[in-house]
Amino acid sequence: MTTVPLCVNFESDFVLQLVPVESDFTMDQVAEAAAHHSLNRRVKPQPGRTLRVRLQDGDAPFDRDATVEQSGFQVMETIEVYYE
Amino acid sequence: MALLNRSDWYDIARDTNWTPKYVTEEELFPKEMSDCFDVPREKWETYDEPYKTSYREYVKVQREKDAGAYSVKAALGRMKFLDSADPGWKSILKLHYGGIALQEYAAGMAEATMARFGRAPGMRNMATFGLLDETRHGQIQLYFPHEYVSKDRQFDWAHKAMHSNDWAAIATRHAFADIMSGRDATSVALMLTFAFETAFTNMQFLGLAADAAEVGDVTFSNLISSIQTDEARHAQIGTPALKILIENGHKEKAQKLVDIAFWRNWRLFAVVTGPSMDYYTPLAKREKSFKEFMVEWIVGQFERNILDIGLDVPWYWDTFLEDLNTTHHGMHLGVWYWRPTVWWDPAAGASPDERDWLEEKYPGWNDTYGKCWDVIIDNIKNGREDLTLPETLPIVCNMNHLPIVGVPGKKWDVRDHYLDYKGRRYHFGSKVDRWVFEQDPDRYAGHQGLIDRFLAGKIQPANLEGALKYMGLQPEDCGKDAHDYAWVWNYNKPDKVAV
Ligand SMILES: [Fe+2]
Ligand SMILES: [Fe+2]
Repeated sequence: MTTVPLCVNFESDFVLQLVPVESDFTMDQVAEAAAHHSLNRRVKPQPGRTLRVRLQDGDAPFDRDATVEQSGFQVMETIEVYYE
Repeated sequence: MALLNRSDWYDIARDTNWTPKYVTEEELFPKEMSDCFDVPREKWETYDEPYKTSYREYVKVQREKDAGAYSVKAALGRMKFLDSADPGWKSILKLHYGGIALQEYAAGMAEATMARFGRAPGMRNMATFGLLDETRHGQIQLYFPHEYVSKDRQFDWAHKAMHSNDWAAIATRHAFADIMSGRDATSVALMLTFAFETAFTNMQFLGLAADAAEVGDVTFSNLISSIQTDEARHAQIGTPALKILIENGHKEKAQKLVDIAFWRNWRLFAVVTGPSMDYYTPLAKREKSFKEFMVEWIVGQFERNILDIGLDVPWYWDTFLEDLNTTHHGMHLGVWYWRPTVWWDPAAGASPDERDWLEEKYPGWNDTYGKCWDVIIDNIKNGREDLTLPETLPIVCNMNHLPIVGVPGKKWDVRDHYLDYKGRRYHFGSKVDRWVFEQDPDRYAGHQGLIDRFLAGKIQPANLEGALKYMGLQPEDCGKDAHDYAWVWNYNKPDKVAV
């Protein structure tokens, strides 16, 4: 297991942020780690909706239980975290 | 003894294009220090500086200017003004001095480059005075804040900032190294004097002087207007140089250097002057919005200058005009949120009345930037200041070294304009910053931004506390909300409802 720093673009926020995750994190865990730095800080949560993860400009989100390693994230990969 | 008129001797006295005897012309003026365009010496002899002065005249005028600025300072008892000044205004002073005073010295070195290596005698002559000007700007802008240091240690950053690894200092040094210390004399004439000084110094030194006069800070208003009279003179070094370059078939390359310098300066002004004018200056004292000042000074005057001289407006002009509505609001939000990382106390500028003003000046502000401020306001009201403070770092652009920001809320458009180059991923805040990198990748590729340094383990402990230490910020230096959140409680007044 290694730490993978990511460049996170959280939906409706104004800035890209550095978010370190572990290589065995699932996409749900990645979304949670990203949300920690945006939701309830500058972005209002949307209860009942699910956060998904995709590459910037990616068409489809990664599976929610896919890991960081399986998804092939490089160090400082730019990802978008958004409400489905 | 009667003195000759200046016009009787000026041309012959300043024509110092002697024929070197002990070294070659190339050794005396190496291309990489003098002129990357390699325009022949005889062409440079046609350089005609629009502003002519002698040393005697220069000293006389400068002495009067200094006497004026220093006597206003002495007469007005600055300490008293500072005690009663709005905290937002004090922050403008701290930001201004820390961001600018030492760069004036660096600008002096750039003037010295033109004074020694400039190919035209007229350029060398004007730049000699420019060097003296910038020395004055450095000294006076350290002397004026110095008396506040005993009262407020953030003012010590007037001198300290540029020696630190604070993100704002890295951003400023990187931009000015690119247009000043890292260029040959001819490029400096284009990038510093034409692109920066004829355009942007008006914004910080005349636009802000107008706000200063409104606020009652007569000393500061007087000081920066006095500086601007020097800028207005030595800023004219670039125009005759551009004329020669265009006449000798170098329009395309000259245009590129101007475009690079203009964009780099624009981004710096979006973080320095934008928040100062639209958020820190007390509402009742704002003469114009940042955008209105930019439209007047840049879009109006500079655009005309560019076209008059035979250049085109930069290729990204539409992007720039659109940027005037957005970028500085994001930069402000970033500076306020990451306030422990700066040496001034950012004023939020987001009370109900201020929001009305922002919505009027920037239609749609409430649906975008306002959405982020809504969450911040709720957190402060609910006693959750912790949620208004950062626990990680923003990604900074590998060109302008400022946070990568975009429009939040209903018009969310934040994106990373990244580029993979020789196995490394570079992150950029806009397509123009990426374009600048692409013009000369190896010039920029080796530099490490704050995030690169963090990831390389240079910042220890690897958390925000370590980052503050790395930036040279003691706990007492770190920025706090300028008004201690008093603005939030205006939302409780029954006649005003948060939008
Ligand atoms: Fe200056
Ligand atoms: Fe200058």
